[in-house]
Amino acid sequence: MRSSISNFKERLRLPRLFFRRPSREEQIHGGPPLEFERPIPRAPWRGIAVVVTIVVIAATTAWEFYSRSLGYAPTLNDNEDLWTLRRRAVQPESLVVIGDSRGWYDVDLDEFEKGFGKRPIQLAGGGMCGFPVLEDLAKDENFHGTIVCSFVPRIILAPPGTPPFERGEKVVKRFHSQTPAQWASEYLAMPLEEHIAFLKQEELTLDDYLKKLPIPNRPGALVPPRSPPYFGTEDRERRSRMIEECARPDSELAKRIQQIWIPLFTPPPPPSYIPKDVFMVKIKEGIEKRFADVTAAVAKIRARGGKIVFVRFPHSGGLKELEDRTTPRDRTWDPLLKMTGAPGIYYSDFPDLAGFTCPEWSHLSAGDSVEFTRRLVPHLRAALQM
Amino acid sequence: MLFNSLTFVLFFVTVLILYWSIVSWTLRKNLLVVASYIFYGAWNPPFAALLFSTTAMDFWLGRQIGKAKVRHAKRRWLVASVCMNLSMLGFFKYGNFLLQNFQWLLARIGVIYQPPHLDILLPVGISFYTFHSLSYTLDIYRGVLQPTKSLRDFILAVSFFPQLVAGPIVRAGDFLPQLVHPPRLKANQFLWGLALMTLGLFEKIVLADTMLSGSADRVFGYAGPLVALDSWAGVLAFAGQIFFDFAGYSICAIGAALTLGFHLKDNFRFPYAAIGFSDFWRRWHISLSTFLRDYLYIPLGGNQVRPFRAALNLVIVMFLGGLWHGAAWTFVVWGLLHGSYLVIERVFRILFENKPWAGSPLSRVIAGFATYGAVCIAWVFFRASNFTIANRMLTGMFGGHPHGDMILTTRELLQIGIVTASVIGMHWTMRDDSFETTVMRLPAWAVTAIWSVMALAIIFTQGNSNAFIYFQF
Repeated sequence: MRSSISNFKERLRLPRLFFRRPSREEQIHGGPPLEFERPIPRAPWRGIAVVVTIVVIAATTAWEFYSRSLGYAPTLNDNEDLWTLRRRAVQPESLVVIGDSRGWYDVDLDEFEKGFGKRPIQLAGGGMCGFPVLEDLAKDENFHGTIVCSFVPRIILAPPGTPPFERGEKVVKRFHSQTPAQWASEYLAMPLEEHIAFLKQEELTLDDYLKKLPIPNRPGALVPPRSPPYFGTEDRERRSRMIEECARPDSELAKRIQQIWIPLFTPPPPPSYIPKDVFMVKIKEGIEKRFADVTAAVAKIRARGGKIVFVRFPHSGGLKELEDRTTPRDRTWDPLLKMTGAPGIYYSDFPDLAGFTCPEWSHLSAGDSVEFTRRLVPHLRAALQM
Repeated sequence: MLFNSLTFVLFFVTVLILYWSIVSWTLRKNLLVVASYIFYGAWNPPFAALLFSTTAMDFWLGRQIGKAKVRHAKRRWLVASVCMNLSMLGFFKYGNFLLQNFQWLLARIGVIYQPPHLDILLPVGISFYTFHSLSYTLDIYRGVLQPTKSLRDFILAVSFFPQLVAGPIVRAGDFLPQLVHPPRLKANQFLWGLALMTLGLFEKIVLADTMLSGSADRVFGYAGPLVALDSWAGVLAFAGQIFFDFAGYSICAIGAALTLGFHLKDNFRFPYAAIGFSDFWRRWHISLSTFLRDYLYIPLGGNQVRPFRAALNLVIVMFLGGLWHGAAWTFVVWGLLHGSYLVIERVFRILFENKPWAGSPLSRVIAGFATYGAVCIAWVFFRASNFTIANRMLTGMFGGHPHGDMILTTRELLQIGIVTASVIGMHWTMRDDSFETTVMRLPAWAVTAIWSVMALAIIFTQGNSNAFIYFQF
């Protein structure tokens, strides 16, 4: 007598029989059409798996030693999930650092804590426009703390659609939409990144090695400038520190990075598809709109009792010359402070802050960042009337 | 939870250990249900409730269809199931799209109406699990499937985590029989499953995300005109990216299911070696094309009607297939283009099938490359976020911007060229074979070397947990 199960299974198999005779291709590819079971290729799978495991472990270990021999040390990757963890730590009265990589590398959290009596939360980031973060804090009705905003004109005024602005947007978006899986992945990744040197999202990867291939580009090709190589470490509080190799006097790494900043900070030519005068008008309008948007965000925060101070951090050498020429203070810094009515600290206005040199022209060494922060704190307190 | 994330690694290892440690089949199935809901809830926990409610409703409706004695009563219950599933899909996926189009229509007749923007979050994978669930009631109605008595089994059939969010669209009728008897742990099957998962992740992380996605994104995101080389390179990059992304997910799903003792069917069979568009749709997203064929095309009359009606049926099916992919007219145009391709192919077949040169190797190769070219042109509408971009891309591809910009590096052009040539070459090499047969023909050392290289490439590429493209559908 046939069991009910076999009867059940037989009826389940009917659709294919009922609707269409299996084609020749299906018989070749899909296995027997009425009793589907995936074919398993005949091969010594156990032996293969053992050898693959050994090869993978050996090659990964060798890669780790090689990476360390090149000067790479284990450090956390700066990504949206790590940023989100810090953003979640923001309390209504927190002291928050936002903006670009100068606010990220040059602020020492311990010195801020000593000076302000509370531990700051680091939300600045490499090449990140601070405006989306500022706007998000302004929208957060609970927040009435203190914001220290790093000011690099080309970055804070970056229009929507450009990499600096998108970086800011991305972190804010992740903060509002982070899934439990992304949160858990970050907690799993941190211990690994703290112990394995080759886990660098933007270096020592296949993509990075492909980008380094010396293949000349077509004449006239609009190729984006390169990003700087690894020169800093980061911890769970997102405190970033320049590595020793970059901070050394006459460091080759620092010299290499200096030459990368120049094309990165040079204004790109107007796009071919927009007349130059129209483009310049658009840029001007964009800057004015950003000033107005920053002013509105600052007003919101101040209306709730919050405080904000803009800081121009040190920069040196050819990069300083380039920034002073293309984004002069009287057309960027001065109008912003005037419009917002917020206090600002321009490092070169204060003798005790002006004497620092950035090894790779854009950021302070780890040691100097501590000393700079120590000297910066009294100026901040005065500016914020704290 | 993404396959290419650390959370999934931990989750999957835990599930595997528990699953194969438990003796009771009932407990193992319960474990899979819990694991699948954790997998899904890791995106957005409240949506797990939505998944459950859809599933439970279809379970109940399936029983009602099974119990009904007369045809029209069965039909009533089926209509309820179809309406419930499609209205859920319609609300979450097409709500704003419908409102915008309604507003546009009213504006055409002079009525100014500003609809509220519905802040709707699209539940991940809703298009897939709706179809998983719908296949159950449809098959019971057609009399080819008996309602299952176990709600738990049906929940598992709909939510089985390897195929839950991005396919393949596994029909309840293909999965439920596998829940009758417990699978045994077979070392070869388990290890082959792991090898398939490695291949899937390699396709996603190394080929799609590292080699191709950056170029495709830059070309489609560029606001100005591009020369033909860059335009074509961007489209070829996207053609490769979407294949490796989606086929990679499907292979991961098949591999993960195998490690748990379940068998899922192929979702891709070397589609870029297709000769003609009906062949393409027998090789690309097979689970969707067969779903649409069995539940839409054949009930519409299929090709057993007059030629004009059969052509219209094809266009209707592909129109809906396009819309299934996303709430935008660009997807509709993509679907209609494929519908038109299928109709043109039929006409060609009628006109030229009996010509002596029709089956020659040269004409097959020419037809194959023409198919690939036409598929790439259709991809422009799939990838472009609006018609302005699609128009600019097509103009560039056909030489309309001889003085346009060049934005890709030589290295990127080489990458796209090498990967595209490799994928087309491999698809043509294996087109009449199965992947398993190809692997079986390789010596063991070659399989070991390929598996090792793929695993190492995944580790060294690292990836950044980019979501799979098909998650948004």
